[in-house]
Amino acid sequence: MAKTFAIRKRGKSFLIFILAAFWLAFILFPYLWMFITSIKPSVELYTSPIRYLPSSPTFEGYRLLFDATEFPRYLLNSFIVTFSTIILSGSVAVCAAYAFSRFEFRGKNRLFPVFLISQMFPAILLVLSLFFIMKEIGVLNTPIALIIAHSTFALPFTIWLLTGFFNAIPRELDEAAAIDGANRWQIFRMILLPLSVPGLVASLTYVFIFSWNEFIYALTFTSDATARTLPVGLHSFMGEYIIRWDLLTAGGVLTALPVVFFFAIFQRYIVQGLTAGAVKG
Amino acid sequence: MKRTKVFLSLFLMLFLVALPSLGQADTTLKYWLWLDDPTDTTVSELVDKFNSLHPEIRVVIENVPLKDYHDQLAIALSAGVGPDAARFKDWWLGEFREADLLEPLSSYIGEWPAKDDVIPNLWNMGKIPGEEEIYMMPHQFITFYLYYRKDWFTEAGLNSPATFEEFLTAAKTFTDPGNNRYGFGLRGGDGGQDQWLAFMVAGGARVVDEEGNIVINSPKAVDVNQWYIDLYSKYKVVPPSAPTDAYAQVTGAFQAGITAMMAHHVGSSVLMVEKLGDKVGVCPIPAADPKNPATMITMSGNVVFSPSQAKEEAFKFISWLTEPEQMDKWSRSRNGQLPVLNSVARMDHYINNEFFRVSMEGADYAIGWPPLPGVGYVSSHVWQVNMQRALLGEITSQEMLDEIARALKER
Amino acid sequence: MTMVQSQKERYIPLFLLAPAILLMLLIVAYPVVQSIRLSFFDISLLMPARAKFVGFRNYVEMLHSETFYRALLNSIVWIIGCVSTQFVVGMLGALLLKCKFKGNGIIRGLTLIPWATSSVLVALMWTWMLDGNYGVINDLLKRVGIIDSYIPWLAQPNTALGGVMIANIWQGAPFFAVMLLAAMQNVSEELYEAAYIDGANSWKQFWYITIPSIMPTIIITTMLRLIWTANYMDLILVMTGGGPGYSSTTLPLLSYLTAYKRLRVGEASAIAVFQTVFLMVVLSFYLRLLQGQSKEE
Repeated sequence: MAKTFAIRKRGKSFLIFILAAFWLAFILFPYLWMFITSIKPSVELYTSPIRYLPSSPTFEGYRLLFDATEFPRYLLNSFIVTFSTIILSGSVAVCAAYAFSRFEFRGKNRLFPVFLISQMFPAILLVLSLFFIMKEIGVLNTPIALIIAHSTFALPFTIWLLTGFFNAIPRELDEAAAIDGANRWQIFRMILLPLSVPGLVASLTYVFIFSWNEFIYALTFTSDATARTLPVGLHSFMGEYIIRWDLLTAGGVLTALPVVFFFAIFQRYIVQGLTAGAVKG
Repeated sequence: MKRTKVFLSLFLMLFLVALPSLGQADTTLKYWLWLDDPTDTTVSELVDKFNSLHPEIRVVIENVPLKDYHDQLAIALSAGVGPDAARFKDWWLGEFREADLLEPLSSYIGEWPAKDDVIPNLWNMGKIPGEEEIYMMPHQFITFYLYYRKDWFTEAGLNSPATFEEFLTAAKTFTDPGNNRYGFGLRGGDGGQDQWLAFMVAGGARVVDEEGNIVINSPKAVDVNQWYIDLYSKYKVVPPSAPTDAYAQVTGAFQAGITAMMAHHVGSSVLMVEKLGDKVGVCPIPAADPKNPATMITMSGNVVFSPSQAKEEAFKFISWLTEPEQMDKWSRSRNGQLPVLNSVARMDHYINNEFFRVSMEGADYAIGWPPLPGVGYVSSHVWQVNMQRALLGEITSQEMLDEIARALKER
Repeated sequence: MTMVQSQKERYIPLFLLAPAILLMLLIVAYPVVQSIRLSFFDISLLMPARAKFVGFRNYVEMLHSETFYRALLNSIVWIIGCVSTQFVVGMLGALLLKCKFKGNGIIRGLTLIPWATSSVLVALMWTWMLDGNYGVINDLLKRVGIIDSYIPWLAQPNTALGGVMIANIWQGAPFFAVMLLAAMQNVSEELYEAAYIDGANSWKQFWYITIPSIMPTIIITTMLRLIWTANYMDLILVMTGGGPGYSSTTLPLLSYLTAYKRLRVGEASAIAVFQTVFLMVVLSFYLRLLQGQSKEE
């Protein structure tokens, strides 16, 4: 009896191993294929039937990329926009979350859902009018237009997440500190902020992913190559080098690297942040 | 706290780096263009030369794919961040003129020394009928012709096609789907409207008649269009991917030996010879009626935009590009087309080149898109969508042409 | 609530909320109102100053346009097809990741990468994989015997939308997988043990314990995905541009094309307004459906 159980258990874990391998392949295959394509010599790209492995890997595509295109500039622009968005959005959201969590005021229960409803408006409803607004302010073709737009769109989710995390910190701590003579600002700085670091990291990581990958507003608000962020740069690159898949995939790999790298470090927090929000409801 | 300070100062440095750099030049000139072959460095070499000749002007070029060019230009100009000058197509002349975005150039041209060297008829392609004002400087133009695989035709004992009938016969001869071979590389994807028009006019259809009435949906035009559609749906002498094939796909297929014939222009001749050598031949677009041949002509010129703050400098640059030495260099490059100057067109290099020769011969009877405001929209969207739907059988030839006529009328 | 707010403290929430409210007003509220206003005008992107008031004409023309109904149908197919398949695939992934095996944590972390990838990059990878001549998906399908010859997925009107949907499903399933997994991990083991003792098999356990326990998460994540998918057009824009013809054009993409290709701002705004109202109607149906269900229980 024990023997059959052991065999069944081993069979089951073998099955799970296979399934897990399939799942991993499902998730990662597109990236792998893109990388393989990018190191194939261009004569081997368009063969029928398809070659799966390159006979002599080459990095020629990458060299061409750095020589002939603006990729470093796109990377810089993305950095500027995304990190500024994190700072702006983070500060505004933290203040708002503090207000929702620790204060009572008129309309509090009605204001909170309003932030969430704004998520429903499609980008195309807003983008045209925002285009004209940004034009009037004079910030088109500069990072500022995107920083303002991205920060605002990231607000509802970030405020929601942070409010949840602040709420999880017991009020008794606030009171204890107040008895010791701390004012609101000190309570905020020395108790709430430090204890909500996981939540902060989770929400700022979300903002990073959102802003780094944002496409429609970035496309609309920039027309010069010098102002483009990475997604827009990659898109115009695809338009220029239409069937040069050796170059396109090399560009794709370069675009994927920062996110994969960032992700490897912060994935634990992202998952935590996302799921904390969902489970609490 | 210390970490925050480090981070903030790093951030500040990044910001300062991002601020537009201040050059020594007094005026920065933004010039937009599209390039069929972006790996060719001729244009940047020309720009560098101009910048060194004119230290007080700094020309900065922006390469935008032709597919998105019209829309990006409209958006940028609408946003007030458009270029000062740009490469421009006659398709968009009417539309942009109506929006008062094009700077009249006649007064600048009057003082330009090389003005008499320009082939006289070509000035008209930069004008609006009824007006004497010139809005677009001619720069490079093309007329459509037909590439064909000389080696295949010789092997099959066929001459290059001169009539629609011979064209169809040849196409059928070379079509062999089992071996991935087709007679003609029909371009249903973006940018295909010009070669479509070439066949339409060669078949006897017109966009407008002598009085300027829109006749693109006349019974004659419907018939010719049906013939074109039939190449895909009835005779199946074109690759199955035709409805979405654009420049890269059609050119790739011809070079790879998948198609026997391809309609295009001298702009791709350098590339073709490079890849196919003597295997590629060139002939005029076949005509339905050999006594009335026709082909399509289109101009890529240069314009200066009215909102520009550097109009004089802009004209200096675009007129410099049109002068004989630069004109010759551009025309010989992989992005080169027909030169607009007599002195250059008479040079041996062009006269002895069969691709240039056939193109210039076609110029005698070539017809272009009329400068109606609606052509901008037709060329950027209406033709492509409706051509695809007609090829796929979703709409009829009449319905497609009615849509185009409507777009031409309403805008 | 034992911390008493003093008089002067009453203004603190105002200061704290002011930046957020200001940004929302300027960047969300004002443009929404403006866009609604624009939908009543005939206005060209190229000549915005020459706008003309035309009342409801843009809406009337929209409702008479065949292209509009085509896009509406595509939107419905897109939303239902994508969200439901993402849910199923995500659920399968969550069930798999729930099992204990070595490397479980790493795989769970890697699972989210598609969700964190730029839509342009997703489009690039999948356009290459679905290529009609050299696409690896075509090659694999042919080797396995599912198809005879390569399919130009994105170039045919009856498969273009499907091709983009496949890419979207790949991109969105991880979100479901991670969320559902977290919810499942919160369900206490005792419930399962009790059911096992009572003789319930795995399927019964799943249907009668797992699903009801994680229902709140299912509802929220599905709603988020519905909203997000309905408004998502990046992928379609880059992979097919809405073509061939209008076969892969959804409502938001139609609005975008109308504004940036036809340069007709008023008509584009009308479509965008319709899209917003349409989404709100869909969501209210969804919520009513759920309320009805919970009342039955």
